[in-house]
Amino acid sequence: MIFLLSWLLLAASAHAATLSVQSPRFTISAADAKQLRSDTLSLTKKPEPLTLSPTDTLKLTFQITTDGEDGKGVQPHQTFLRFYDAVSGEEGIQPVRVTPGGKAKFELNMARPPASIPPTSSAPLEVSLILGSFVHDPAKYDLFDLYIPASQPAPTHADAAMFSPRPAIQHTFRPAQSLPPKAVSALFAGAVLAPWAVLLGLWGKVGISVPHLFAPSIVPFTALLGAFEALLFWYWVDLKLGQVLLYGAVLALPTVFAGKHALSTTGKWRAGRK
Amino acid sequence: MAGPKSSKSSSSDTSAAISTLWKSYVSQTPDRLKFIDSFLVFIVLSGVVQFLYCVLVTNFPFNAFLAGFSSSVGQFVLTASLRSQVNPENRPEFKEVSPERAFADFALGSIVLHFFVFNFLG
Repeated sequence: MIFLLSWLLLAASAHAATLSVQSPRFTISAADAKQLRSDTLSLTKKPEPLTLSPTDTLKLTFQITTDGEDGKGVQPHQTFLRFYDAVSGEEGIQPVRVTPGGKAKFELNMARPPASIPPTSSAPLEVSLILGSFVHDPAKYDLFDLYIPASQPAPTHADAAMFSPRPAIQHTFRPAQSLPPKAVSALFAGAVLAPWAVLLGLWGKVGISVPHLFAPSIVPFTALLGAFEALLFWYWVDLKLGQVLLYGAVLALPTVFAGKHALSTTGKWRAGRK
Repeated sequence: MAGPKSSKSSSSDTSAAISTLWKSYVSQTPDRLKFIDSFLVFIVLSGVVQFLYCVLVTNFPFNAFLAGFSSSVGQFVLTASLRSQVNPENRPEFKEVSPERAFADFALGSIVLHFFVFNFLG
């Protein structure tokens, strides 16, 4: 119990403590171990971007201490280097091994790059150091920009297209049909009307007589049949289906009676003539 | 295989047969049936012209073509049935159907047909 309490007290007192990074330093060396560039890093200001060729090696060393420069080295629970491509949004997280004394050494050999390096393009990777601890405040330092040789482009997920806006649907319509030239229309209108002349000519030649057409018993029937045709023409021009059915039903009743009367009359005439 | 001579004689036979047919039609057919036949000829001609227009020029207002052509066909069917029912030669076939009844059927059928035609005409 007392042990637990003291541990809690220790944790509470240490919570305010912060981590700091001492003497960060990088070295770029070629494949033949020749040093190309070496410098200390400022945690507040990024240096000139670092450039690695396919055979170069980047070494990064630093020590993690508590509370200022005279603090003792400490091993945080989590130490990561984050490589972030701001253009493509790709990132890679690389854990860094830290000794119990707080010393850390990271080596990036471009001849054998680790799998955590994200796909790269011509844009630089932003390299930052992330420290996490149960008893200290977390810390994040932007270290430097890093140019490394471009890799294959990042593979897209097979379903990525499903979750992005689809291209706008372009409807293609058949072009509107057009009427033929006026002359052709007029020609065929005349051709369609020509059979009427044939009909009237033939009827005139047959010379049938309709003596009873205006007889009082016949006229209502023919007039009502004409009214039906007029109603259907009106339907074409203006009316709705329901109206036509209503008016037609109203018109049908007298037509039936008139037709019955007219046709029985003609039947009598026919019987009398025979 | 008919030679040129026999084909000539057969063609003259055909024309003779046609002229005989025509003469007997003109002399023996009642005027009322000729009246109906004139109407049938009119219907066939106007249907053919509409079909030619559809094939040769355009079917653009296709509903109009359908309405016009189907009205020709339907009216032809109705008129042909009217003609066969009022023909005195067919009297034994249609004992129960008086010419007045046939005309009433024709009128009713025509009105229904014209209803559909105007419906299609748009």
